Amino acid sequence: MEILKCEGVRKVYGSGGNQVMALDGIDFSVNKGEFVAVMGASGSGKSTLLHIIGSVDKPTGGKVTVDGTDISGLNQTQAAIFRRRKVGLIYQFYNLIPTLTVRKNILLPLALDKKKPNQEYFEKVIRSLGIAEKLEALPNQLSGGQQQRVAIARSLIYRPALLLADEPTGNLDQKNSKEIIDMLKLAGRNLEQTILLITHDEKVALEAERIITVEDGRIISDERRR
Amino acid sequence: MWKEYSSGYIKNNRAASLSVRLSAFIAALLLSLLCGLFYNAWKYEVERIRQEEGDWQSRLIGELTGEDIGLIENYANVKDVVISDKGNDGVEPVLDIYFDDMTSVFADTPRIAELVGIPPEKIVYHYQLLAMYLIRDASDPSPRLLFPMFILVTVMASLSLVIIIHNAFAVSMNARIHQFGIFSSIGATPKQIRSCLLQEAAALCAVPLIVGNLLGTVCSIGLLHMVNMLLGSGIEGRHKAVFGYSPWIFALTWFVTVMTIGISAWLPARKLSRMTPLTAIKNTDELQLKRRKNSHLLALLFGVEGELAGNALKAQRKALRTASLSLIFSFMAFTIMQCFFALSGISTRETYFERYQDVWDVMVTIKDAEVDDFGLTEAIQGLDGVESAIVYQKATAKRLITEEEMSEDMKAFGGFSQAPGQFVTQVDGGWLVNAPLIILDDNSFYAYCRQIGITPRPDGAVVFNQIRDVTNPDFRHPTFMPYIKTQSRGEDAVSVLRRSGNEANMAKVAVLSYTEEVPVLREAYAKLDYYELVHFIPASLWKEMKGQIGGMEEDSYLCVLGGENATLEELDRLQDEIGRLLGGEYAIESENRIREYELNSKQIQGSEAIFGGFCILLAVIGVGNVLSNALGFVRQRKREFVRYMSVGLTPKELRKMFCIEALVIAGRPILITLPLAVMAVGFMLRMSYLEVEVFMAEAPLLPVILFMLAIVASVALAYYLAWRNIRKISLAEVLRDDTMM
Repeated sequence: MEILKCEGVRKVYGSGGNQVMALDGIDFSVNKGEFVAVMGASGSGKSTLLHIIGSVDKPTGGKVTVDGTDISGLNQTQAAIFRRRKVGLIYQFYNLIPTLTVRKNILLPLALDKKKPNQEYFEKVIRSLGIAEKLEALPNQLSGGQQQRVAIARSLIYRPALLLADEPTGNLDQKNSKEIIDMLKLAGRNLEQTILLITHDEKVALEAERIITVEDGRIISDERRR
Repeated sequence: MWKEYSSGYIKNNRAASLSVRLSAFIAALLLSLLCGLFYNAWKYEVERIRQEEGDWQSRLIGELTGEDIGLIENYANVKDVVISDKGNDGVEPVLDIYFDDMTSVFADTPRIAELVGIPPEKIVYHYQLLAMYLIRDASDPSPRLLFPMFILVTVMASLSLVIIIHNAFAVSMNARIHQFGIFSSIGATPKQIRSCLLQEAAALCAVPLIVGNLLGTVCSIGLLHMVNMLLGSGIEGRHKAVFGYSPWIFALTWFVTVMTIGISAWLPARKLSRMTPLTAIKNTDELQLKRRKNSHLLALLFGVEGELAGNALKAQRKALRTASLSLIFSFMAFTIMQCFFALSGISTRETYFERYQDVWDVMVTIKDAEVDDFGLTEAIQGLDGVESAIVYQKATAKRLITEEEMSEDMKAFGGFSQAPGQFVTQVDGGWLVNAPLIILDDNSFYAYCRQIGITPRPDGAVVFNQIRDVTNPDFRHPTFMPYIKTQSRGEDAVSVLRRSGNEANMAKVAVLSYTEEVPVLREAYAKLDYYELVHFIPASLWKEMKGQIGGMEEDSYLCVLGGENATLEELDRLQDEIGRLLGGEYAIESENRIREYELNSKQIQGSEAIFGGFCILLAVIGVGNVLSNALGFVRQRKREFVRYMSVGLTPKELRKMFCIEALVIAGRPILITLPLAVMAVGFMLRMSYLEVEVFMAEAPLLPVILFMLAIVASVALAYYLAWRNIRKISLAEVLRDDTMM
């Protein structure tokens, strides 16, 4: 089942002589449950692609469909609700709210919809991420790896159609990086999550089932590994 | 969750939200004060109109039968009808109509008039009273702007406050752009972000709003009390204002304050909520310069720290705009106000109190009294503590001045060539000028004659022969010259006085003397009309001639001089005794010199307190803004400071940079105000012809320096508090900052 489809996605920044083509005709699709890594050097356009798929940014041209919804034409409110329910975003620098406890950070997307969490699922997520003991701590009381786990938990809490991770290990040491990737893989397997991982690190990319390589805003290779 | 997030933020960032609370408090205080005052001014005006003209809404003029009146009484919207004897000067009967619903007065009255056969031109509306309820009709020619003005001023005040205080909300909200970016990235809609910010603003402002509103109402009670105290007995015919409040004004005050604060919070909230998550998350909050700017002066004075501080201030220009404007305006307004009051005080003292200090202690206006019929002069002169008492009346007359009569000095400055037509008319044979008559009781006139060294006689006039050089505009140091030629003076000189408005009626008066000395009266001569020729005559002479040229005089005056160095108590007692003596026979109004002086001083102090209060409030907004900005930028400028630290700036150098910033913020209002104040004072001194030394001796240096020091101290305190937080920044911690993407 196709969960993500990009058709001729273009993104141009600036105008006139200052135009920069960040994405130039991106075409690819991802099936449900797939773990895909998007790899490329700095400035290749991979983060722009992730932002467009996560409806954080809008494409200049082309069409992006996530779980049957064309997100290219969503207005600000529709895009926000889409992000809340359909995608989970994980950033390199965690982006946790420093004034909220770990529990509240994780439950934030549900709170935005005034929904109560499914306790069983919540327990499952925090246990599988190993943060059950840290629920009442504030983000600054956690290590980088722990903060990233909280960010992953938050992105999973709504059972999104797509998990988007932007260099999730970029700020972590080797041990923590390994753990985070393992956890993402575990989440993909246990919770049947589709994961799109952005990285410039080949070693991390090799953990994925499929590697899409981007250069100068174009896909130069799309390789299925297993 | 929103509640939890916001309450957590509010609890942990009390200092950052201080400026928001302060702004809300000041806005509520000012608007509540304004609404309370306007409501009471409106109420006072309605009471005055009702007292003076009645509270009917429309009126029918003409004969009405009992049946007609019954018909009107039974008209659906009519509350009451009253047959009035006050309207139409008693020529025709008048029926006052009161309606249940005043708004339909212009529709119902013509119908009622038609019903009872009164023609439309015999309908009178109480436009003045109706306008106070905003009930207007096109047929009313008067603008009646009082109520619309109240509304306009309130709206303007509200808008000005929005402009001033919205920045406080913006600073507090913008400090968390990144966090709202995270909210947005995980699916918070713009509406949710906006509601969260507005809920937060509501939580922050609730208490200041209540306290500000209550205090504003208390202040309006106090101000009304002060006005009553200052003007209570000072203005004839003024009734005492009694403070009033109504549920409507309560609701209106709340509506205006909530709207003002709501709009102030909504503007930055809307801007923030519309930001895309990418922009918000990537927002480093770091203050940037849009283009390269150099701070040459600061660099020259303080070196690299000066340049860094200058650039930082330029980058913060927008955030500091409210603070700068408030501080500049408050200091400028305070300084200029102080100078103005000092100048005005000197001027009033020199031109009024000092000039008339020795000429009167108690002044009485005796209504509709003729000086030649007044028989209580001796009784007053005999009162204990009275040194002299002069009864006098003023009358108008005209006199022809011929070319030959004019003094050589007067001719030298152009004679009547510069005289305005309203005062001097050129006629055949000369110029017709005003010749005011000061009619003194006989004894006082004789005393005056002795004062100027002539033999007292009851059959002639003394002419005040002095004219001001009109070419010299310096009213404080005028030059005088003789009006009439010396050659014209003589034993048998006469003055032909003509009746004002009917110059054919004349009276010939012997001139006893031409003089440059005036009797001891609280009167100013030739103030408005420089060309008037004042005549002093005795009451007995006036009795003979008033049939020819008099008839338009109204009141008489009594000028009483008490003993030397009379105290307020003595003058009060004297005033009471005179009141008792005259009160039975005449309607009088009396003044007391010391009380007058005290009233004047109280009015100046009251005005100073009110204006000063506004200046202080403005300064509080400015300082509050500096404080909130200084505390808020700790997070905002963290990276900037870390960058300085990482390149080797020592804490001492950072502190120096801070001191320079504080110095510029506090110094700017002073540097801008002082030259402007000097120019304004120079202009005022020029206009009032006061010497610089006279002003400098009483210049309000102390209050201005205290105000200046208060601003400097407040800004220094704000920066000291910020410095305490900056000191705690750890270089390593900031470099690991989780907001760095």
